[in-house]
Amino acid sequence: MTAMIRIIRGGGEQSEFTVETGEFTTLLDALEEIRSEQDGGLLYRHSCHHGSCGTCGVIANGKRVLSCVTRVSKLEQPVEVRPLTPYPVIGDLAIDPAPLYSEFPDDASILRPSEAQPDATPPAEIPGFTRFENCIECGLCESVCPVLRAGGAAPGRPFKGPAALAAYGREIEKHPERTDELLPEIDSPDGVWGCDRALECSRVCPLEVYPAKQIAVLQQKIRARKAPV
Amino acid sequence: MGSDRRRAGDAGRAADIRVVIIGGGGTGAAILHDLTLRGFACTMVERGELTSGTTGRHHGQLHSGARYAVGDEEIARECMDEVRILGRIAPESIEMNYGLFLALSENDVTYGDTFQEACSAAGIPNRRLSIEEALRHEPAINPQAHFAVLVPDGTLDAYRLPLQFFATAVANGADVRSFTEVLSVESSGVAATGVTVIDYRTRRKERVPADVVINAAGPWGGQVAGRAGIDLPITPAPGTMVAVKGRLCNMVVSHLHPPGDGDIVVPQRRLSVVGTTQWETDDPDRIRTPEGDIRSLIRRGGELVPTLADAEFHAAWTAARPLAGRSSAGGRALSRDLEVYAHAADGLDNFYSVIGGKATVLRAMGQAVSDILCSDLDLNLPCTTATTPLLSHRHYFRRAS
Repeated sequence: MTAMIRIIRGGGEQSEFTVETGEFTTLLDALEEIRSEQDGGLLYRHSCHHGSCGTCGVIANGKRVLSCVTRVSKLEQPVEVRPLTPYPVIGDLAIDPAPLYSEFPDDASILRPSEAQPDATPPAEIPGFTRFENCIECGLCESVCPVLRAGGAAPGRPFKGPAALAAYGREIEKHPERTDELLPEIDSPDGVWGCDRALECSRVCPLEVYPAKQIAVLQQKIRARKAPV
Repeated sequence: MGSDRRRAGDAGRAADIRVVIIGGGGTGAAILHDLTLRGFACTMVERGELTSGTTGRHHGQLHSGARYAVGDEEIARECMDEVRILGRIAPESIEMNYGLFLALSENDVTYGDTFQEACSAAGIPNRRLSIEEALRHEPAINPQAHFAVLVPDGTLDAYRLPLQFFATAVANGADVRSFTEVLSVESSGVAATGVTVIDYRTRRKERVPADVVINAAGPWGGQVAGRAGIDLPITPAPGTMVAVKGRLCNMVVSHLHPPGDGDIVVPQRRLSVVGTTQWETDDPDRIRTPEGDIRSLIRRGGELVPTLADAEFHAAWTAARPLAGRSSAGGRALSRDLEVYAHAADGLDNFYSVIGGKATVLRAMGQAVSDILCSDLDLNLPCTTATTPLLSHRHYFRRAS
């Protein structure tokens, strides 16, 4: 099989490439093929190739996806690929994720207790089974958030964004002792009160982090603390 | 006092020594961090995103060393040492849930004694469990197994762990330049004097002066050495991995037999990863995932964790290991250990190539290379990476904002 990939680079320039594909070929595989065979200078971000690192987000045919777990055969052709907005573009499809990380709570843990095999007894050598948090910090939720996008290319309102706020939610859930420290940081117009409840973030998240739900829970916690006793 | 004074003087000398490290994988990250802590003026160049070559595609097993204990006690011991060190300096990048080696056949049962003796000799804690005991810890394993051996394996985040090294190095003054490819290694007489790079962000070429150049480009190391006119004995050896949806187990599950294809299931976040196969190639940029590997890996992994066979497919991918040496057939016979080549022997002083190694021992690889460099330069600057906690991976990207 062959597929037509149309790359719309950050600068606006368009290029079309034809690549050989198979049943399991992903959009990232196709980009790798283009770089190795047709455009050696093509810039895009990638690392793990299995949806764990969160680096390879792009907009494909208008949808925010992780290119490493998106099969080309499931996409309408030509596949139109753009860099993830609203991030600064380093070049071509590669973005700078610095804005995503700027609002995360300091030292929020990326580990959590594992819920897999709940009846299992951990070996005596460890206190309990752990796993990495769901959020892979891919930025798809921020990319689709209408508050941050303002519906177009223009910058939106100041807003910490769904990824960072979800991280606040998870950190407070795991470490209630940090509540007094962390809740005031997000009790602001650019914090949890900046959310317009569009819910797009929860829909697009490939790892079921449900940022909109996390934000709603944080709003409830703030209201409960302020309610007269 | 004398040694303290000498060390201070050597640190001052190191600050004037410009080191360029080529390759933004785990090896380059660890060398960059180590040399920066020792006071060198370090720049790292990577042609793509950090860890976009082999490092990030690792299945994520944190090796206790048990897998290598039979046949290579030294590597096994080093793995165990590094598991303990990483647990102290980078605990956030590790799911430390231990691992089980399953004896599935009569041959495996016989191999078990050799395996446990080798683990003990390498200082790797190991405990034989009846299958009933093992099932209490890990209900997902094959209940037909004869017994299991518990070892301190775990899962590492193959992207975020090296990023912690980069974040800390940058905070200490290192310069990291991704999307920047080395076009040539410059020399004057017999000494490397720098590299010419192209920064793909600006499409501009630039000369980066250096007093020392270290080639840590993994399976691309042969290509990089070629840009200095040097022939490097290296074999890129790709392998396939498959991830299915769902965290089927908490512990790493391995087959209690000599290393082979499809002999490990690594749980990671909400996935289960089966690894690996291995073949050889000349060009690590032109590897495709063989579809036959996907089916065979799921079948073999299902012998360890039966629910794998019916789990929903998530992803299949290939990564090229950098094996030191050259082989015409069967890469597994090659050493998995680290090789450091000082290319003075090839007529180019101050140019080094690093090949091989493994994800778990990245910090030790950084130390080994940095120790060699300090020895060659007659600098008395001790390694401090084993006791230096690493910054969060998020600090790497937050620096720009």
